[in-house]
Amino acid sequence: MESLVEFAIDSARSMGAEYAEARLQTDLRESIIMKNGVLEASAFEEYRGLGVRVLVNGSLGFASINILRKRNVEGALRRAFRMARLASKLMRREILMGKGDLGNDKVEVKPRVKFADVDLDSRVSLLKEADEQAIAAASARDVRVPARMTSLDTWITEKFIATSDGANIRSVIPRVALFAFITVFHPQKGPVQRYFNLGETGGWEVAERWNLPKLFYEETYALSNILLEAVKPPEGKMDVVLGPEVVGIVSHESCGHPSEADRILGREAAQAGETFLKKDSIGLRVGSPQVNVADDPTLKGSFGFYIYDEEGVKARRRILIKEGVVNEFLHNRETASVFGVESNGASRSVAYNREPIVRMANTFFMPGDYSKEELLEDVRDGIYIKNFMEWNIDDRRFNQRYVGLEAYKIENGELKNLVRNPVLEITTVRLWSAVDAAGKDLEFQAAYCGKGDPMQGIPVWTGGPHIRLRGVKINGA
Amino acid sequence: MAHKIKLEEIPLSVVDLGRREGATDVSAALTESRRIMIRFSNNEITVSKLFLDVTLDIFVMVEKHRAATSISTISQRSIERAVKNVVKIAKATPPADVYAPLPQGPFSYDRNLLKAPKIPLDPGTLTAYVESAIKGALEKGAERAAGTLNAHRARMHLATSGDVYASQEISGLEISVRAFMSEFATGHAVSIASRPEDFNPEEAGMRAGEIAKAASNPKPGEPGKYMALLGPLVFADFVNQVGSLSSAFLVDAGQSFLIDKIGLEVASKKFTLIDDPSLVGTLGARAFDDEGVPTRRKSIIEEGVLKTYLHNSLTAKKFGVETTGNAGIIVPHPWNLIVEPGSKSVDDLTSEVDDGIYVTNDWYLRYQNYRTGDFSTIPRDGMFQIKRGEILASIKELRISDNMLRILQNIIDLSIYRTWVRWWEVEIPTLTPYALISELNFTKSRM
Repeated sequence: MESLVEFAIDSARSMGAEYAEARLQTDLRESIIMKNGVLEASAFEEYRGLGVRVLVNGSLGFASINILRKRNVEGALRRAFRMARLASKLMRREILMGKGDLGNDKVEVKPRVKFADVDLDSRVSLLKEADEQAIAAASARDVRVPARMTSLDTWITEKFIATSDGANIRSVIPRVALFAFITVFHPQKGPVQRYFNLGETGGWEVAERWNLPKLFYEETYALSNILLEAVKPPEGKMDVVLGPEVVGIVSHESCGHPSEADRILGREAAQAGETFLKKDSIGLRVGSPQVNVADDPTLKGSFGFYIYDEEGVKARRRILIKEGVVNEFLHNRETASVFGVESNGASRSVAYNREPIVRMANTFFMPGDYSKEELLEDVRDGIYIKNFMEWNIDDRRFNQRYVGLEAYKIENGELKNLVRNPVLEITTVRLWSAVDAAGKDLEFQAAYCGKGDPMQGIPVWTGGPHIRLRGVKINGA
Repeated sequence: MAHKIKLEEIPLSVVDLGRREGATDVSAALTESRRIMIRFSNNEITVSKLFLDVTLDIFVMVEKHRAATSISTISQRSIERAVKNVVKIAKATPPADVYAPLPQGPFSYDRNLLKAPKIPLDPGTLTAYVESAIKGALEKGAERAAGTLNAHRARMHLATSGDVYASQEISGLEISVRAFMSEFATGHAVSIASRPEDFNPEEAGMRAGEIAKAASNPKPGEPGKYMALLGPLVFADFVNQVGSLSSAFLVDAGQSFLIDKIGLEVASKKFTLIDDPSLVGTLGARAFDDEGVPTRRKSIIEEGVLKTYLHNSLTAKKFGVETTGNAGIIVPHPWNLIVEPGSKSVDDLTSEVDDGIYVTNDWYLRYQNYRTGDFSTIPRDGMFQIKRGEILASIKELRISDNMLRILQNIIDLSIYRTWVRWWEVEIPTLTPYALISELNFTKSRM
């Protein structure tokens, strides 16, 4: 089967492509879905196919196919080649593949406990126990938990990537992912909801380490407390401490996305949009000196883990904001050539039938020196927002809103009562500029970042420490 | 199973094998699809894509024990392995709370719905569509245009243990165009069609260009509650929320503000929402659902009253009703959403607004609470003040932060004019008018 990769590249070159890249990708996924304690279904998927990109007269063509016969692959390639050549007549600027540290390597993450060694009973029992603990937690606070929805996925992605200019990468990456959606309800108080994702690279040992029953108990107990105890938040200008979950989404939305070089060039303009950053924004101050944000695909065990990107370029940590100043953008080889830099390995694709595009991997606010207690002790009158439910940001990545879920009043450096749905609606520069201190802790959350057309929901981590914002406006929802 | 596989015969052989392996119920759907996508930005093509996919989806039940599989490796060996494996997994799966046998056919289907119009897939024609969309936007004054052209043809072959064996064609042409006067002044429009004669990329480009031009030099808007005129792209997004969250599965999962509201007034009397897959020649037309049940037109909300959730046979059994022909084997979903028109022109709707806001598009809709319907979304592209019945200044930086049920209740009127919408943010094809909403809450980021 792997010979098809070489065949595709040779065929594309013989047709006259300046550049060709082929990726044979297999995704094997097993899922179970539990709703309100009942297993709705178990499922497994096996998607295997070939995705090929060709550069013809400076115009890019992509073809994907899952009938893996030479005749069919060649036919698809011919069509992609013709389409690209025709489109080249409308091009004013030739697309070029810029420089990058191309690899010739094999990357394999070996699970300690193989998925094949974990039977369905064990998986179902784990979710069932977690579900029972959610009910127990709600019961302990005398509320109902009428809706629980959980899915648990294990999947293995195998890739063989080669390019006409010498990259040759084989990889095998196993992942575990959990999605949970919990509703607690009280007849006088109404419903409160939360969903969360867990995701890591590794084998079944990851799911065991998560201790789902304990986590579901804690999450549901906290949600019940919010339902019963949270009161209207204070409004107005105040100091705010954000927990790692909120800091993670802020880093992703307000630093990671604006730093994607393809957005800067307008390539996503009609879908995910553009960015307030411009090609010449390197060196622009967007926050206080305490703000340092990185994106790093090489974090071991991370949900967005990879060592080589889909163009065969070796990945590395990217410092996107350094001491409050825009430091680096996320590049693939196409954008790197326009910016006159080397690709930093940000080209990703979620399946064989998706075009590789510029993506984040694991985006996080880099830790500072403070303990959580130190961050809090200097706040006389403020709010601590631990996590969130609703959020969004405009398509220039400048105007955003986060609505806290578990949030507390801070008085004289101490956490007090729960407050309900405090709203932080703020611009990117105002938010980053308000940061006066960052914690030394660091936590990550799993997420699926959406971008591209067709949409590609790609595994990422978002993360950071606790951080403190001075004098920002808080509203009630 | 035959040695030489004919694609259209695979589902039947899967059903046979699944039954022999011990499944009480089997459905198998094989889809062959061919899709071409041309993406463009800054007035030039950024990439041309071809997708050739053959996928096989199998669902089996051993009474209350269920399992599903999807594979893209279509060979005799891989199919046999998948069928044996999925039945084995179903047997090992704990029982669900209800068992509903797959609906018993054979059924008769509307022959007109089984066939899809022929659409062009040649690169020359498709590239010309893109050129005409860009030209339309630039002619109306835009400086640049970006977007996506999609052309697809697919054929789905379905067989079930309920004596269903049928084939359905699907095809469509879609273009989504965003025009830019500047990074702050943009307009968006779409054209979607099942028939080539209904497809008008140039007009979509022109409409996007007109909005972008009118949106020039926007000033920051003031937050507050306003009477709002929602253009088709925004209202289609809201209607998609209502249609999608009327799925019985999501209601049961706590992910819907429509829970416990059957028979109740959930919207203004002006609002009637229909799911109609039986409209021949439309993008969401389907002859049968994923269980082989003939699809039909149904009111989800009729003159403000919630009439039904969307069901497959399993959710129907659980809720004690009949399937609505909206399977989704696991999650029922709408096919083709239709909002009944109002009685006024768009100009008449606008003239009713003394101090309000016209929103042409939105994105990034997220809920604080699905069950209550509290959410926010961000207007994008042209947004305008309306004063004394006239659309005036271009404004920016506002967010719609409200509640979905309140918005439905606050529909004052709808336009006679309707248009089909589907794009990146609106998944289900939706025929929608403009909507006039009272007291819509707008918030704003603080500098």
